Amino acid sequence: MAGENVIEVESLVVVYRNGRKSTRAVDGISFQVKRGECVGFIGPNGAGKSSTIKAIMGFLFPASGTVRVFGLPAGSVESHKRIGYLPEVALYYPFMKGHELLELYGGLHRIPKKKLKRRVPELLEQVGLYGMGETLIRNYSKGMQQRLGIAQAIIAEPELLVFDELSSGLDPLGRHDLREVLLELKGKGTTIFFSSHELSEVETLCDSVLMIRSGKIVCEGDVSDLMKPLDKYEIVFSLASAAEILSSLPPDATFEDDGEKKRIEVNSHEIYSQLLTSFVNAGAVIHHSEARRTSLEDFFVNLVRPDGERGK
Amino acid sequence: MKSYLRNAWLIAKTIGIEAIRRKEIYAIVLVSLVLIGGLRLVKFFDVEGLGKFYREISLKVMNVATALTVILLAARQLPREFQNRTLYPLLAKPIRRDNFLMGKFLGVMLAAAFCYAMFMAVFLFGSLTIKSPVNTGLFLQFVYLQLWNFAVLGGLAFLLSLLLNIDAAITICILLYVFSQVLMTLMSYIYDYTSAWQQTFLLGLHFVIPQLSLFDLSGKVVHGIWPPIASWAILALTAYGAVYTVLYLSGSYLLFRRRAL
Repeated sequence: MAGENVIEVESLVVVYRNGRKSTRAVDGISFQVKRGECVGFIGPNGAGKSSTIKAIMGFLFPASGTVRVFGLPAGSVESHKRIGYLPEVALYYPFMKGHELLELYGGLHRIPKKKLKRRVPELLEQVGLYGMGETLIRNYSKGMQQRLGIAQAIIAEPELLVFDELSSGLDPLGRHDLREVLLELKGKGTTIFFSSHELSEVETLCDSVLMIRSGKIVCEGDVSDLMKPLDKYEIVFSLASAAEILSSLPPDATFEDDGEKKRIEVNSHEIYSQLLTSFVNAGAVIHHSEARRTSLEDFFVNLVRPDGERGK
Repeated sequence: MKSYLRNAWLIAKTIGIEAIRRKEIYAIVLVSLVLIGGLRLVKFFDVEGLGKFYREISLKVMNVATALTVILLAARQLPREFQNRTLYPLLAKPIRRDNFLMGKFLGVMLAAAFCYAMFMAVFLFGSLTIKSPVNTGLFLQFVYLQLWNFAVLGGLAFLLSLLLNIDAAITICILLYVFSQVLMTLMSYIYDYTSAWQQTFLLGLHFVIPQLSLFDLSGKVVHGIWPPIASWAILALTAYGAVYTVLYLSGSYLLFRRRAL
């Protein structure tokens, strides 16, 4: 079953209408998420992330295009049996106790009562709410409600997890705990699709990312492959006769010579290593060498920020 | 079917929990206690004919209080789910929207039945205390038809809450409840004096607005001199109530089915 498409989005268009005015929130995007993948869905505010996720959950209806989950129409009961979902902002019934809420959601997933009695305390412990099952949800903090949200999402051990704003409202400890839970689920083969503004989190957890801007996918692929071309390697050195080594520089390399020191910048780690070895063998004085790895955040800013705003 | 009912029951239970934890039910208990207090006064003064007065006032208070409870509970169920965003995690579970709606309706009806049962217990206790028992058959028919009255009101409140905001839905529902109580009487007075198109309008109104007064047998229960009404009439009223309830719930479903969340 590996390689099977769990989510298939085809030419999805989501339009919001307000009287005569209509806004195209999602503009004909297509993508697939394969079984066992962990995919991060990133983009600036208002890019169309939540609208896409709502379409995947069947909460809103596309103006055109199709969304299928496990080969079934989005929003169908059969697909929801296999999905765990955490909304962007969710409040849970404040008049219920934590365990009652989880029993309600577990019941809707048709988990037998006996199993639920065992599963609910385990889950509460797993998300860091041990001993809070008897407390009314109105007394939970925002972070605790988010943890409860995570518990309700994974209560039925779903095959697919869809999280809209993964760690919204969580403190650093909560984020750490959530990452542990997700890594464990990922290890078990659960497919994970989530949107997040925490790009370090996406970088840590995801195999691949989808970037969306103004309702269109602007970039998709493997996290490390995407960022590799933006990595920079710099060597500042002094060497009287460097002509032979410099003749082997790739065309995209940058070379500057201020008479006293020479500076080279290349994009490939292999070439950087070769150059360093050559300079050392030739007796050069290395003043400075640095590998500047691009973070997902740099990549994101570079790609998503409109050209006119760059460098501001 | 089994899982449909189970889901509906799970949703309905949340309304029961809410009604208890939000202490709304306690307001009903308070009204009941006032009734008991009133009963004690009736007994203390031992005035002839006050038994009937007690029954009339008690049944009126019970009907109006429970109807208001139904309207308030039903009208805010769906808008609150939208406002508080509690709908998202719920509808992400394997439950259809019609099933969710039925669960909500069932919950409102169970809460109404619970309130009404509490009132009934107080009322019957009072009737026995002043040695003025009610006609059992007629009383059961009265309770049964009142439940249909509440079902129609609940369905109407659901429908209005999907068309209007909560306050407007509650206000219009209460106005329609009051208007439907007097519509038939009003029509019988003015019908013969109206023009042809006005008569058509009144007839149309007669069919659009449910005649909730038809479900009210309190007059018969108060006087207690009539036998229970015929089975065919009960069946006809059941069908009448069921048609309106189904119509309102179907309308609610049609509005809710494709609503973007």
